[in-house]
Amino acid sequence: MSARYGMVIDLDRCTGCGACMVACAAENNVPPAHSRATARTGITPMLVRRLSNGTPGADAREAFIPITCMQCGHETPCVSVCPQQAVEVDKATGIVLQMPQRCLGCRYCMTACPYHARYFNWWDPQWPPGMEQTLNPGVSVRMRGVVEKCNLCHARYHAATEKAAGAGETQIDPLDYVPACVEACPTVAILFGDLADPSDPVSIAADSPDCFRLLAQIGTDPKIHYKTTQDWIRALADRNSLRSHSPEAQHV
Amino acid sequence: MSEIALLDRRWITRGVQRASAGRFALWLAPWFVLLFLGAYAAGLCFFYGLNQTNMDNRFAFGLWIFADLSIIAMGAGAFFTGFLVYILKQQDLKPVLNSAVVVGFICYSGAVAVLMVDVGQPLRAWFTFWYPNTHSMLTEVTFCISCYLLVLILEYIPLLLKNRQLRKIPAFLVFEHQFHKLVPGLAGVGAFLSFFHQGSLGGLYGVLRGRPFAYRQGLAIWPSTFFLFILSALAVGPSFLMLVVATAEKVTGKQLVQNSVYRKLGFISGVLLALYVAAKAIDTYIWLNITSPAVGFGPRDFYSYWPLSSLFLFIATVPLGLLPAILMIVPVTARKRGCLLCGAVLASGGVLLNRFVMTVQTLALPTLSFDSFLKYTPSWQEVATFGGVIAYGVIVYSLSYRYLPLFAARKGADPNASQD
Amino acid sequence: MTFSRRDLFIGGAGIAAGIAFTPVPWKLLGDVSIWTQNWPWIPQPSRGPVESKRSVCTLCAAGCGIRVRMAAGWPVGISGVATNPITKGALCPLAFAAQQLNFHPQRLRAVRHRGRTASWNDAQAAFQKACQDGPLLIVDSRPGRAASSILQAFAATHSGDYRVLLGQDSQALAPYAAWNGVATSALGYDLENARTIVSFGVSLLDGWGTPGRFTRLWSEKAAGRSDPELRLMQIEPSLSRTAARAWRWTAIRPGSDAALAAGLAHVLIEEHLVNPHQLVPPQTSLIDAVAQTGLSAETIRALAHTMVQRRPVVALACGSDPTIAALNVVLGAVGTSGGVVLRSNSRVLEIPVEPSTKGYSAVLLDDTIPWGFDPQPNAEVFRFAAWDGGGNQGDWLLPAPGFLEALTDVPAAPALNAETYSIAQNLLPQPEQVKTPVQFLAQIDSTLPPVEKAIQARCQEIFHAKRGVVFGEQVVAVANFESTAKLEEQLRNGAVWVGEPRHPAPWKCALQQWPSATSPWHSADWSAAWDPVVLPPLATKLYQESDLREAPARSNT
Repeated sequence: MSARYGMVIDLDRCTGCGACMVACAAENNVPPAHSRATARTGITPMLVRRLSNGTPGADAREAFIPITCMQCGHETPCVSVCPQQAVEVDKATGIVLQMPQRCLGCRYCMTACPYHARYFNWWDPQWPPGMEQTLNPGVSVRMRGVVEKCNLCHARYHAATEKAAGAGETQIDPLDYVPACVEACPTVAILFGDLADPSDPVSIAADSPDCFRLLAQIGTDPKIHYKTTQDWIRALADRNSLRSHSPEAQHV
Repeated sequence: MSEIALLDRRWITRGVQRASAGRFALWLAPWFVLLFLGAYAAGLCFFYGLNQTNMDNRFAFGLWIFADLSIIAMGAGAFFTGFLVYILKQQDLKPVLNSAVVVGFICYSGAVAVLMVDVGQPLRAWFTFWYPNTHSMLTEVTFCISCYLLVLILEYIPLLLKNRQLRKIPAFLVFEHQFHKLVPGLAGVGAFLSFFHQGSLGGLYGVLRGRPFAYRQGLAIWPSTFFLFILSALAVGPSFLMLVVATAEKVTGKQLVQNSVYRKLGFISGVLLALYVAAKAIDTYIWLNITSPAVGFGPRDFYSYWPLSSLFLFIATVPLGLLPAILMIVPVTARKRGCLLCGAVLASGGVLLNRFVMTVQTLALPTLSFDSFLKYTPSWQEVATFGGVIAYGVIVYSLSYRYLPLFAARKGADPNASQD
Repeated sequence: MTFSRRDLFIGGAGIAAGIAFTPVPWKLLGDVSIWTQNWPWIPQPSRGPVESKRSVCTLCAAGCGIRVRMAAGWPVGISGVATNPITKGALCPLAFAAQQLNFHPQRLRAVRHRGRTASWNDAQAAFQKACQDGPLLIVDSRPGRAASSILQAFAATHSGDYRVLLGQDSQALAPYAAWNGVATSALGYDLENARTIVSFGVSLLDGWGTPGRFTRLWSEKAAGRSDPELRLMQIEPSLSRTAARAWRWTAIRPGSDAALAAGLAHVLIEEHLVNPHQLVPPQTSLIDAVAQTGLSAETIRALAHTMVQRRPVVALACGSDPTIAALNVVLGAVGTSGGVVLRSNSRVLEIPVEPSTKGYSAVLLDDTIPWGFDPQPNAEVFRFAAWDGGGNQGDWLLPAPGFLEALTDVPAAPALNAETYSIAQNLLPQPEQVKTPVQFLAQIDSTLPPVEKAIQARCQEIFHAKRGVVFGEQVVAVANFESTAKLEEQLRNGAVWVGEPRHPAPWKCALQQWPSATSPWHSADWSAAWDPVVLPPLATKLYQESDLREAPARSNT
């Protein structure tokens, strides 16, 4: 039975510490920033963004929202636009996989992604001498000119399947496949699991009315859900929240 | 010096008057400077990578993609004129046919050159042909542009072979005469290919479900922008051709084609432009009232950011849409060369604006509700490369004008002599 | 037979068509694509068997348990240990890239004397001479380690002084230590049993204390709930991350913490919200509080009422401001469950170092001392450090082991409510040119025991006391261990010993009068808890490649 790996991220728990961002970069052999890199040219497959109600003083409120590849399940925008078929949806896991070896660097997929979850290697990766010995052997190093993004630590899934095969099992042990960001979060804000399995805690959590998905109305069926009990966070993050969406925007 | 002048003279078609070698060199010099600057900028991008540009993860497409789309739209005059002359038998456009082919060749080869610099891994360009994705508009664009560039090269070759010195080689003469039989077929193939890639350049944006500003509904697998781009390219092609020929006339100081040709090109351009404006108005209405609200977006999301406001819509429709159409159709204005050319300039401006809005504004607008409007300014390397392509175009056209019989002879006159 | 041009054309066409049927052109195309993936300047990861080892991170006093993936003998990935009872698998954001630190461009690999390379012998000679010229001062930022006892012993036998430089989290407990005559390191906060926490600007959810300890507690008991089990009340001028997630945030003017504490104490006593206490704040406290904080009297009264609605309640401060400590005394939060507790019997008083030291001719700075600490100018300073922070920081820069390169032990982290102990096994061999301070001093005084012996002695102490539990792959009470060696083996494999939380003892408070405030101290730098002077290169994800944080005062080259 094929899985649909996804997440429920609790925005009430996220403190914006950034541990997930660093853990992700370390796991995926993302190079250190070039001296000229900025927030718009850096590579952050997991990116924590700030939500602010914009009010100064004592009425100010702030929350954080981790943004990663939404692993869109329906008419995945980046899959259909790649001229080289360098992006595909893995049938066994539902993960949207990017093949950096085939990527031409045309960046059409980056234009197509409404979540801005794709990053281009504007520079060649460079580590100080010797530091390349600390690279994760399970993940290939990309060169400049190709696009990359979160793949739910697919190398860890691969290791889990190998381990299961070695033990003669057909199903992986869920404890063996935990993405780096999920493992790193100090408040357990990210819940990860198989959305196709109704008994999986992430499936149960995703059904809660407190859960929403970003740009759900566009119809890409993202597998990353967000949860919050607070109206103001939902109003800021969820376009389609009834509390935030004013009727005038609907019509000319 | 006079030896060079003599050598140069021998390559120029017999019986026509051209500027002296020195004056021609002086004309070309600044364009060569621009070309070398562009080549240097492109070299920097090849060597150091795309960090030489100001493009970033949010503006993955920048000046170069805008340039590509604009250049290809302008070059539509090539296939359209060929279609009109060979398929629809509009013989009175024959005098500008060669010019149209050269303009098309310049535009397409320049666009392909810029595309090679624009991708992160140019050496992998052949992957699109090896692992094509039939669902992707960009695959379609790649295939059709490559094929059409081949067609243009094939259409350019006979023109090249009409050069005075090259004609002397019997094999070339024979080849050129035989080749003429292929030309109507090539024109048909060219029209077919062009129809598809002009359209799929529009389709590139129309299929982007993740960008409601660009996304359009359409017919079967083709969004409405597919058809709108074709229509606008057809409209602007003759206008641009008009401008090129008029510029050539101004620079050389000669009358190269008859006024009737201008009027015909203008009339075709105007009618198509009017049709385009009408189609675009309908499309805009559907997009703002049906397509976008269905995904939770509306005009407030698209037009709240000065200066990219609904003013642009108005400008694109009236001063750069209906006005040039009227100028080029209505006899009162169409009779005057100045009004006609003004209309051509405005029409070209309108198409450039449309390409800008589709490429740059789409990326500047936020999709996520906590995102903001972004700005982008091209770096000097991007501008220089673009400038280099323009310089390349001017140089190729100038050389073609000087050494090839670009403008067809009057009926009964010596086919080797030129109109001037 | 004549060979014409036509034949040439036909032959050429045939050859071209024929080649298309051979592998040659397709192989070349494939080669081109392989070249584009494997240019020689693109680094490749190490190859070799991958194994998972456990140790303890020593980059700050928290001492989080870590699981290190090693490939071909190099650390290639760091993660937390889910079975660790304190961190529960969490680490600070920077620890996930700590494996890069040993290759940081600013790594110190040679002895440096005033900007020039020197040798260990030169340093030793200079040190011995400086010690002869006058008294020696040794400063340690992590007292309680095995190495600390050796440094202390050296100072004692060589007529020198051993002083400690406490970190921010420890300093907050200093007032209670002074009032009760105990060591600061013997105190902690029993947050696990508190129901209301009043935090005066302490970044509890963003880098305070041991990673995971409070964040998990808060996540389970408070996050997202309108009526949480654990009420976090944050009092600070601006909206920090902790304030943004707290149950209540009260914005006060900067520097008015002490005034507010006095005002709150005044309300608590006046309105009989607490047991009567001899410690009474000045009469004008509430008026002062209103004037300085910018809050109204009603707000302050409401704050006081809310604070004590759900007890136990405890107040936390950033630095060693005694007024907030006094507020805790008034609240009855000292020596009680849910408040400030004594976690060990240790009577060893650490003497803090003076900000400006005088009268010493030699100063030895352990490698745990922050780079910014600059002792007196006329002593000869011997600073141990693994990374060079730049600037003129001492006469002698002595390269110390980096991350996971030296065996050391980790005493209890500041602010925990129980004693803990773990051993940080070195997973990497110690590079040739680096030495620990103990190894350096051992070359001068060969009677000094090596660190291993001191660690063994500590394990023996724990074993013989028969108290507490060892959390390793399994959870085993100390009483069930067969020998010290077995206990030490567990600890060396990444287990942590946790002592029994002491029963809250009645408080013998020497404080009679409401204390006057000291100048408040808040660290704006989010990376302040991180000890090394350099950040791992991947830290740029947090500030340069995103808008998440401000660039810290120390950045990478």
